[in-house]
Amino acid sequence: MSGQKSGKKPRQKLKLELTRRDFLTLAATAAGSAVAAQALTTGPLSPFSALKQSQLTGEDVGGHALGRRQWGMVINLDTCIGCEYCQRACSATNDVAPDVPWNIVEEQQSVSGRSYFFTRPCLHCQHAPCVEVCPVQATYVRDDGVVVMDYDRCIGCRYCMVACPYDARRFNWGERDDSNAFVPTWGIPEVERRPRGVVEKCTFCIHRIDSGLAVGLVPGVDPEATPACVNICPVGARTFGDLQDPDSAVSRLIENQATLRLREELGTRSSVYYIPPKEGL
Amino acid sequence: MSPRVGAWLAFLALTLVIGLTAAILVFARGLTLTNLTNGVPWGLWITIDLSAIALGAGAFTLSAVVYLFGLKRLQPIVRLAVFVGFIGYTTALLTLVMDIGRPDRFWHPWVYWNIHSVLWEITWCITIYLMILIVEFLPVIAELKFFDRYPRLRHAAHRIHGAAPVLAVVGLLISLLHQSSLGATYGILRSRPIWFKPSMPIMFIISAVAVGPAVTMAAAHVIEWITRKATVPHDILRLIARTSGLGLLLYAYIKFWDLAAVSYYGRTPGSDQALYILRSFTPYGFGFWVGEILIGIVIPVLLFLMPRFNKRPAYLVLGAALAMVGVIFNRWNVTVSGLVVPLDYAPGVGPALVLPQPYFPNLTEWAIVLGVVGYALALLTLGVRFLPLFTRTEEHKP
Repeated sequence: MSGQKSGKKPRQKLKLELTRRDFLTLAATAAGSAVAAQALTTGPLSPFSALKQSQLTGEDVGGHALGRRQWGMVINLDTCIGCEYCQRACSATNDVAPDVPWNIVEEQQSVSGRSYFFTRPCLHCQHAPCVEVCPVQATYVRDDGVVVMDYDRCIGCRYCMVACPYDARRFNWGERDDSNAFVPTWGIPEVERRPRGVVEKCTFCIHRIDSGLAVGLVPGVDPEATPACVNICPVGARTFGDLQDPDSAVSRLIENQATLRLREELGTRSSVYYIPPKEGL
Repeated sequence: MSPRVGAWLAFLALTLVIGLTAAILVFARGLTLTNLTNGVPWGLWITIDLSAIALGAGAFTLSAVVYLFGLKRLQPIVRLAVFVGFIGYTTALLTLVMDIGRPDRFWHPWVYWNIHSVLWEITWCITIYLMILIVEFLPVIAELKFFDRYPRLRHAAHRIHGAAPVLAVVGLLISLLHQSSLGATYGILRSRPIWFKPSMPIMFIISAVAVGPAVTMAAAHVIEWITRKATVPHDILRLIARTSGLGLLLYAYIKFWDLAAVSYYGRTPGSDQALYILRSFTPYGFGFWVGEILIGIVIPVLLFLMPRFNKRPAYLVLGAALAMVGVIFNRWNVTVSGLVVPLDYAPGVGPALVLPQPYFPNLTEWAIVLGVVGYALALLTLGVRFLPLFTRTEEHKP
């Protein structure tokens, strides 16, 4: 390098020197890139193929409810009277700390100034942000569309709580030693208390769904196989059932009523539909 | 032992005792001892994690510059950079173990994979990178007197040095990935209006690359003042400071366009409301303009780039310290501001005025932070005292 400082380089004719080896390398690189580009954009290996197909057809592709069923709920905000029975029955049945409920009930004002009650379990998204971010797959969407927690795997990093758009997750900050005030008036605990240091959330009472199905009951129809919050509601504001079955109560409600899902623009595809109050939201 | 050294060691011991006490309490009683809530589940400890990793970025940057880009002139600082990086990463891991609810399951990400999770990827990258740092540092450890008895081990450790360029390549790739993924941790969350933006990972990586080497530079100067022995040639340190200054300018440039494109022109009802809540109820504006911009960027840039300042080590150390404070401010602002704004998911609720969810770290959290800072300083002290961090005789055989 140092010898060329004089600036008096002999003028060279530009000559294309392409050895066979160079040529083969370049050709292989080009061909490889083309194949890789093709595979990544359209092929079965493509991470974007599902996305692309859903963009083309406008249909949801690659959702998680892979089985024949997808459990869902319709909540009628027009009939809800804000009695909080759902919250209490849920807390008793799942032994949830009463001051950190899975189900929330909040009074809100509509545009016209009338008040209505908004209630929220976990919405059981089919594209769940919490499932996507969990570093250990401790939370996942089951084949029947229910988002559940594996309390034995959770490391307690709380990223799922940060990611959940609906504030549906709760962390066990300390070991629980409270006696649940809602037991036994509102129900008897059917599942274990969660240990310290893991995240917990509404499960759609999967223990009832699973054991009910095993003995031939229909969740949403038979109370033994239906979530506690749905059974207890004195005004029937909550309906539970299979969203894949066109004859189920939830499917018929969705077909015949104007419903909405919370923050649909996030693409979470939640399994909980709301019927808004008549006077508007 | 001089009284000064004694006082320093006593101070370190005190911080470690306080930190250990708090750690034992937290392990025994759980995170209920912190001020974290279900609304703000991440706080001071995550801030320290993110900051420690960003400030350790000098290791991969300087290793890559020397072994990959062939700037052999900077060779004398690589050992210190790798050591500072090691301290930063282990500090982050210590804090992380405190922060997770089930420290006994810290190994789960290595066994149960979720390849879609950026946090899973970060865990893997940090683990692998920590191993790279250890391997890069083995030759230095092998020079301890202790290894006089084991010449074979020493020889093996020195042979690893030949792999330095390979380690630098892998380290560079992995560091670029996880340093930016730490920003993506927030940037990918669609439901949080002031987090969800593509600039997040970019701002994290640029701030880390700009400030990390400056931290190493400042460490070299401070060690020189204390030990009164030459550490790294001053022209090298000045070069690093000036490069850091340019890096901070780039960071400021990206931040400016982020502010313009995301917060101003690209604002949404959600982000507008979030910023309104933050400005009305929290010192967000002060933290951003004074903490991040003035202390973290403007003053360090002036100190690093103006010849009348950057010829004097004291100003360079001051600049690096301020830039460090700026990074910590930034990581705190990002983490806590995004969380104190309550989620707005209910239908029909207009942009009603909602109060931010309060969070301020309590004594337990500060005690843990004091402990990990004490750990970092103790490790640095031990390294300066016992490790040949600054030998100039090192021969580089490829």
